[in-house]
Amino acid sequence: MTDDAFLQQALRHLEALHNLAVYLTRNGSEAEDLVQETYVRALRFSHRFQPGTYLRAWLFQILRNTFLTFYRLRERESAISEDGIAEGEAPMFHDSPEQDSERSAVHMDLERALMRLPEEFKTPLLLAEVEGLPLEEVARIMGCPIGTVKSRIFRAKERLRGHLKDYGEDSKV
Amino acid sequence: MADEVEDRSGDDAALRRLLRERLPRYPPPPHLRAAIIEAATPIGPRRGWSTLWMPPAAAAAAMAMIMLLWIAPSLPSATAGDPIRLLARVVISEHARTILWGESRPDVVPAALPRAMEESGVALSWVFTGDDSIQLVNAQPIYLEGRRAIELAYRDADGHAVTYVILPAGTLALPERGRVQIDRWRPLIRMESGFSLIIWKQQNLLCVLVSDLVSDADLAKFKEYFVKVRSSTEPYAVY
Repeated sequence: MTDDAFLQQALRHLEALHNLAVYLTRNGSEAEDLVQETYVRALRFSHRFQPGTYLRAWLFQILRNTFLTFYRLRERESAISEDGIAEGEAPMFHDSPEQDSERSAVHMDLERALMRLPEEFKTPLLLAEVEGLPLEEVARIMGCPIGTVKSRIFRAKERLRGHLKDYGEDSKV
Repeated sequence: MADEVEDRSGDDAALRRLLRERLPRYPPPPHLRAAIIEAATPIGPRRGWSTLWMPPAAAAAAMAMIMLLWIAPSLPSATAGDPIRLLARVVISEHARTILWGESRPDVVPAALPRAMEESGVALSWVFTGDDSIQLVNAQPIYLEGRRAIELAYRDADGHAVTYVILPAGTLALPERGRVQIDRWRPLIRMESGFSLIIWKQQNLLCVLVSDLVSDADLAKFKEYFVKVRSSTEPYAVY
């Protein structure tokens, strides 16, 4: 496969990669950088990709590894926004003016709850439940056994439910 | 919202549906696809006439460099025994190469930086990417006098090229003579072959900023660029 053909195939997954990148980095421009670096690396190592295997999972794996290598250090600095709320808990963009306020509130709570999950819980949850990847592929991306993936997704859901309840109770006050 | 979740507590399908239907998706901005294709395209002989045009300041610097290269062989060599002067000359050559043949590719800088760091052995925990007056337009690994280095190319609002080279300092010591107090630092300032250089050591690395900003007014501007770069860039050697 030529580089050009490989790139064209890889670009079909741009939307999914960018979406995951936004949820990992919590920052639009950093997400773009992360996605761009993912593609540069994928092309550099395209000879290692075996045609016929799951390209999307391979790209997700590169994206996650790149994130862990270059971006996670900054995440540990636990940036605090001006209003004193950890950035990880703040919703990101909210540029959907056409949506009604109730629906937006659901978006915000869900997004905020998801952001509170640790990366090792958040990524498998997004890959399996949002992107619809099979557990075997998620396990390959995460570099752990399927059982671990199942356990993390289960715990991610439990935590997500807990966070959502917290927000619901908070909103009543 | 709380009721909705409570009702569906333990219901995986409901939570999955909630995630799929209500979690906002973030589609990539239109320019990202183009930037990826641009970054993935090898830099080759695809330069058209339009890209050969250079802003006047860059053209003047290029002409100065051509003159320098033309007459350099006939000049007596004074670099022997003066490592700073040797360093200045190789950095100026690299700067000239950037002006003459380097591409301004600010769109690929985010992707180029990690690769440049990986291949140069010089990492940057913080990097000055620019502001209204000067912008980072390229980053690449280079090889200077047998040492790997990283080069950050900046372009100011007037079209002047400013090149920032970082390489291992080795045993090189900076002399006291020629040092100037700029803000809270005391780097070495040199004029060499029609170029200005600001040289300093940071984290056992040698940092050199070079430009064709040589007049008094331009030098003041160059010092401002130094303060910006020095205060916002944190390099460290990774080997």
